[in-house]
Amino acid sequence: MLTIYTYIQELFTERLPFVPSNVKASLFIILFCIIAFTELYIYIGTRRIKQWFEGKRNKKYKEIITNMLANIVVYDDDAESDEIIAHFTPEFKKLPLKNSAVREILIKELLHYHLNFTGKTADVLKGLYLQLKLNKYSKRKLNGRWETQIEGIREITQMWLKEEAETILKFTDDENSQVRMEAQASFVKLSMDNPFRFLDRARERILDWHQLILFEVITKTKNVEIPSFSPWLSSKNDTVIMLCLKLINHYQQLDAMPELIRLLQHANLHIRAKTINILGCIEAEMTEENLFEMYFDQPLEIKLEIIKAMGKIGSGNYLEFLTGRTYSENFKIRMEAMYSIKLHGITGIELLENIYKDTNMQNQVIIKHVLDERIVA
Amino acid sequence: MTPKILVVEDEELMLKALQFRLGKEGYDVFIAKDGMQALKLISETQFDLVITDIMLPFVGGLEIVNKIKSDPETKDTPVIVLSAVGLEKTVMEAFQLGANDFITKPFNLSELSIRVRKNLRVPVTK
Repeated sequence: MLTIYTYIQELFTERLPFVPSNVKASLFIILFCIIAFTELYIYIGTRRIKQWFEGKRNKKYKEIITNMLANIVVYDDDAESDEIIAHFTPEFKKLPLKNSAVREILIKELLHYHLNFTGKTADVLKGLYLQLKLNKYSKRKLNGRWETQIEGIREITQMWLKEEAETILKFTDDENSQVRMEAQASFVKLSMDNPFRFLDRARERILDWHQLILFEVITKTKNVEIPSFSPWLSSKNDTVIMLCLKLINHYQQLDAMPELIRLLQHANLHIRAKTINILGCIEAEMTEENLFEMYFDQPLEIKLEIIKAMGKIGSGNYLEFLTGRTYSENFKIRMEAMYSIKLHGITGIELLENIYKDTNMQNQVIIKHVLDERIVA
Repeated sequence: MTPKILVVEDEELMLKALQFRLGKEGYDVFIAKDGMQALKLISETQFDLVITDIMLPFVGGLEIVNKIKSDPETKDTPVIVLSAVGLEKTVMEAFQLGANDFITKPFNLSELSIRVRKNLRVPVTK
């Protein structure tokens, strides 16, 4: 009787040598594909089974950890933080923390809780995190790939490990912009003595959107000691100057005036424009002359900023200059000049009404538009 | 009679913490993980206090406040709104709809307990 084994044996020993080479090649390819697909399915199958088991285990541990953490919040209200930490630490130590998945679940849940509670609960959670030496793992993440580094920085920041501020400092000028951003925001929160020291060593660009985030962090974080930002206006990094200009404006730091006047000559157009904008916002009347003197050599963008600033300052000393701009060939200059005149209050409005009588039709339309109460500039 | 408190919160961890804490303080705690579930519970049970997060799946916290305060049967139920920092405008909206109190996350659990006690003792009408 011909078994499958003997059939295959015969196929290879007696028939295959006589088969044409193209058929041989086809058979070889088919055989290769069958083996490859079988291996692939085995790989996918085992991987899915592994993932399923891991998911099941993680779910189980997440449930256990959540319950353990929730028990902390119902522990005796009169007990001291240290007492609560001492009570719960042995229980948490029973968890298989050498297993990275379980450890990560615990860190994640601890951080999540810490983020939502203040007072004793937050102290206890931080205490547990330190007692279980989870900070060691967060710090270890700082040596990983960039996304792991960010994770580590976040964990350190969320647990308010102020003693790690110096470790974070070295990442504030990292080549990777994401790491840099995370580290800078973290350093502002964690550094006790000088949270803006990172600005001294910032060689890399602080991107515009990153400036927004930093601005938010600086202005919203409680207990951040705000220094005078004027020393950083001499920075070689233009993006540092831009950030500091925004902060000077926010905190209305008038002591920065000499530096702001110096920046009016800065080579970077954006810095010049922002400086002029700030001078207008803080109504720096003493700088009007500087603005007037520089006006004629400036590109359009700066000219417009100067006109706007003069309107915001509204001293009335340069109304004649602004009136002159209403005859400019450039529509934007005419428009901004009229808005600036309007900002001078009744004097400005009367002046616009007088201009209206003698000016051309296009200017009359602009004046009508500017004086329209329904439109806010 | 044990006061009945409904806690509406989509974050599992937070929900459990509030459930455990209020349960320990002797309240009868009901939980809902989303707005739909909360509205269903509100229509079925008369609660003495509702604590709701603002950002919820399906039906938001503001809508829950509105529903409670616009129904003659539930309008006297005090509502405490939980909100994250930066949602001050939404909290104002909640107050306009009749919310009685608010707590900003992160918060102190002792403070929550005090506010719960205060609101249970003094039911404020819209």
